[in-house]
Amino acid sequence: MSKAIYAGILLAGTFLAPHIALAAPSCGANTGQAATGKPIKVGGIYGAAAPGDFSAASKAAGAYFKCVNANGGIKGRPIEYLVENDQWNPELAAQAAAKLVGDQKVVALVGSGSFVEMSVNAPFYRKNNVMEMASACAVSECFESSNIVSTNQGPLPSSIGAAMYAVEKLGAKNVVCIGLAIPSVGNWSCGATEKYMQSKGLKGASVLLNPASPDVNSGLLEAVASGADSILVNLPAGLANAFLAAAKEQDLRDKYSWTSSTPLYDVSVPKALGDYWNGKVYVSAELTMLDGKGPDNQNWLAVMNAYGKSTDPRDTFSQSGYLSAKYFVETLLAMDPAKLDDRGAVTAAIKAIKGKKSDMMCGPYYVGDADRHMPNHAGIMVVIKNGGFEKVRDCFQYEGPYFAPLLATEKAMGLN
Amino acid sequence: MLAITRSGLAGTVFFLIALLALPALADGQWIKIFISTGCFVIAASGVAFMYSRLGMVSLGQVALMGVGGWVTLRMNHAFNLPFEINVAVAGAVTLVFGWLLALPALRMRGLYLALITLMAAGGLEVIFSTFRFPNGGPGFWGVMPSVAAPFRRPWIAQSDTAYLRYIMAAAFFGFVLIELHRRMAPGRAWAMIRRSEAAALASGVNVVYYKAWAFGLSGFLAGVAGGLLAGGLGLLDAATFRASESIMLFALSVVGGARFWLGAVIAGVLYRVMPALFSNWGINSDLTLVIFGAALLHAIMTAPDGLSGQILQAFGKVTRRA
Amino acid sequence: MRPVLPYLGYALIVVAAYIFLAAGKPTLVSGLFVVSGLAVGSLYALGGIGLVVLYRATGVLNLASGAVGAVGVMLAWELQQRGWPQAISWAAALATAMALSLLYGRLIAPGLAWRDPIVKAVATLGFALIILGVTTFLWRTDVVRKFTLPTDNQAMMLLGLRVTLTRFIVVFATVSIVAGIWFYLARTRTGLQMRSLANDRDLSALIGVRILRVESIAWAIAGAIAGFTGLMFGDLLRLEPFVITFMVIPCVAAAICGRLENLGLVLVGGLTMGVVESLLTFSPTLKNIRPIAPFFIAAAVLIVMQRGHQLVFARDE
Repeated sequence: MSKAIYAGILLAGTFLAPHIALAAPSCGANTGQAATGKPIKVGGIYGAAAPGDFSAASKAAGAYFKCVNANGGIKGRPIEYLVENDQWNPELAAQAAAKLVGDQKVVALVGSGSFVEMSVNAPFYRKNNVMEMASACAVSECFESSNIVSTNQGPLPSSIGAAMYAVEKLGAKNVVCIGLAIPSVGNWSCGATEKYMQSKGLKGASVLLNPASPDVNSGLLEAVASGADSILVNLPAGLANAFLAAAKEQDLRDKYSWTSSTPLYDVSVPKALGDYWNGKVYVSAELTMLDGKGPDNQNWLAVMNAYGKSTDPRDTFSQSGYLSAKYFVETLLAMDPAKLDDRGAVTAAIKAIKGKKSDMMCGPYYVGDADRHMPNHAGIMVVIKNGGFEKVRDCFQYEGPYFAPLLATEKAMGLN
Repeated sequence: MLAITRSGLAGTVFFLIALLALPALADGQWIKIFISTGCFVIAASGVAFMYSRLGMVSLGQVALMGVGGWVTLRMNHAFNLPFEINVAVAGAVTLVFGWLLALPALRMRGLYLALITLMAAGGLEVIFSTFRFPNGGPGFWGVMPSVAAPFRRPWIAQSDTAYLRYIMAAAFFGFVLIELHRRMAPGRAWAMIRRSEAAALASGVNVVYYKAWAFGLSGFLAGVAGGLLAGGLGLLDAATFRASESIMLFALSVVGGARFWLGAVIAGVLYRVMPALFSNWGINSDLTLVIFGAALLHAIMTAPDGLSGQILQAFGKVTRRA
Repeated sequence: MRPVLPYLGYALIVVAAYIFLAAGKPTLVSGLFVVSGLAVGSLYALGGIGLVVLYRATGVLNLASGAVGAVGVMLAWELQQRGWPQAISWAAALATAMALSLLYGRLIAPGLAWRDPIVKAVATLGFALIILGVTTFLWRTDVVRKFTLPTDNQAMMLLGLRVTLTRFIVVFATVSIVAGIWFYLARTRTGLQMRSLANDRDLSALIGVRILRVESIAWAIAGAIAGFTGLMFGDLLRLEPFVITFMVIPCVAAAICGRLENLGLVLVGGLTMGVVESLLTFSPTLKNIRPIAPFFIAAAVLIVMQRGHQLVFARDE
């Protein structure tokens, strides 16, 4: 039904075409032998119900695990991937965690993606000493918690990346950040963006939109009234689309420079935005381009082709789910086979992950034993152009006061 | 006045069986499901009694639960008081809140009263989604960006299993509270008002007073239910308390049958157990909506007395006094 | 004189909101917000009018009207993606909404005719959930879509704000629906029957009004209005079924502003809600919760309405 998705898949298909002949996916031990031993249980929780679908990451992780199971598994043992849908309902999220961690006794959670699950379950994971290698986090609780680490960036680093680009390449002196009026989302990320601007001796402001509000016009007018010269759209894709439509209605395109956090980096966006915004909106991307030519990214596409469904989205969350699953499998493979069912040992092994590198992610991936985890705080910038995206800036490290403690941790771990 | 009706007896037996069987048989996930089911049963009992005794419709019950939950969390993170006191304060605040809502609305009936509660629910939805629920942060709103601070459950119910028993006991006392009201002065006044407001007025019943009492009782139950729900997870999320959820809880109370205690239990089960079952069976969440909607329509059309009316009738247990 | 009072009341609300919130701001800036608020308010009013038209004729407050409109505009989008002419896609949207509305009106509503008005309203929620479930199943929610009308590209300046032709169409359509419905009820035979039905169902049946036929016409008209509203919401708000479906709640607020019967007041009340909501942006403490304005105003209207001894709600007694 949704043509944009199909168009996206076709697009991915054409990128793939020259490689299809050689692209046999490579997973885990890559033995070519199906794993037959006692399954290792791994969980994942995603949110998918109106008004949004975050299941792409767990779908990609699932595809990767299938591929691993067909290629020797973990020392001959297959991964049994149990996924639950929280349907954006906090109680369902808690129930899913109780089922996976309490009843099914999974050794870890991988590829999760949700708005609510992490904030509800973070204390529970801590209590049960289980790690969640999430892939699609959107709220602060997900990053500021001891037992969750996410491969994606979330709104805070992503908006700071966009603001940095506006300042350094588009000459912005006063950036207004348009966020959701939710403390752990908009206030958190736009607040950090303001602090970044202050740290550079420039001006920043926030305009927060209530998600319940049908009206984005007054938010736009508020942004205009703030006296900014650059507008940073830090909203879920649907709302961002509505905001840019309101800006188009006022014909504001050329009066400001326009940047956005990651949600707009989605194949269906350029078409939805239309010609008006062609070449004008710069989007901060958390991982490599969807058609990136690096070996990991090519392998992701090959895995999705061979083990995913043709309707599974091939987007940033999917990349992120693949990468989380891959690092998780590498960690298990390096463990003592006798301890694979020992949740404490798996948790310790995950916390010991450090310095994993991939062409999909700008910085190194690490976990560490800390109260906050945000390994991914460097990214690329793309511009919406000719119905697709073009890379305009390669990997760059995000700056600002928020990252200081993270950088200190990394230094202590010997990463930088 | 303390005589036990057959319906009451059945309820007591049901409660005792559930108290023994549910926590023993359910696993971790289902205990959590039954905890939230129990909370919504308490809230539904408030909606149902207002509807059946006075014909007053509240489309804001889940929003009022949010108020109770907010107060409970606020108290928990601000003071070092026991759980019971926090929940009692939550119940009292929500009771007053229910009154504030009701007082100007008491002269309205039917759809208009329902609509003013719906407007309140819509307003509270905006407030909850903007300010969220306290999680141990600073200031009045008490929200911080990192993981929620610990929540103190009742000392006799630290584990999930014990907490489920605690909730079931609370639900039982909620029903007893309603039943006691029914048998005393307020109940007689309500019965009169239900028949004819003019007649009640003529015979010296203070209509506004007793209507407000009903609103307060229902609000109290909602507040306690919200507080107990907060105890289930240790935190709350605005998505639970959307205005559409309040409409839904009323709808399910009608489906369950507002006249009987079993109706509120069925409403809670439909509201929280059914979606969990669908999710366990792997039914797509969109299709869950379709099934839910269809079941709602079907039940409203075919069972005017609600499912509990049909069930109790089938067992031949419907006493005239019910 | 009496009928004018409520209109004055709404004018007073707007003026008070302007004085409290926008005083001291340059007129240029506050003018922008007023116009923007009128644009939003016209959407509330349009949705509210659709609700009232049906409620007056059938006694059903249709909470599914948003869902019906959403499925229409999604279908229109889909057809346009497949290269169908725009006019046909709009017609298809209206026809679908009409058909769905009629389906409910013929199959389900008659079975509930004797229940409480509130139970009738709640039953439509069941219908809304079914439609919403099917719509989000067919058009997955993780795709960003945009529905545009050709009139989006023409605009004129109003107090410094660029206002597109589409927004003028909304206002124009709202006013014409009000006028058209008034004319229909006052001057045509089915209109007369609708009024008698609204007054007393039993008596109308006795004097030979064909209830089912008249109600079906009302459901079809309401469906068409819902379809049109859906197209406008899809274009001017967001093309997301979930958002359009639950827009019905603020639209109920607009309907309340007209006491669920007076279309003119619905229009003025809806506009008032929009302007106040927009002006709240000036208040640092209230700007984040400005969507509360419709509910607050509707609640205030309800409270003011029940003053005085005349029983405004006699129909529900």
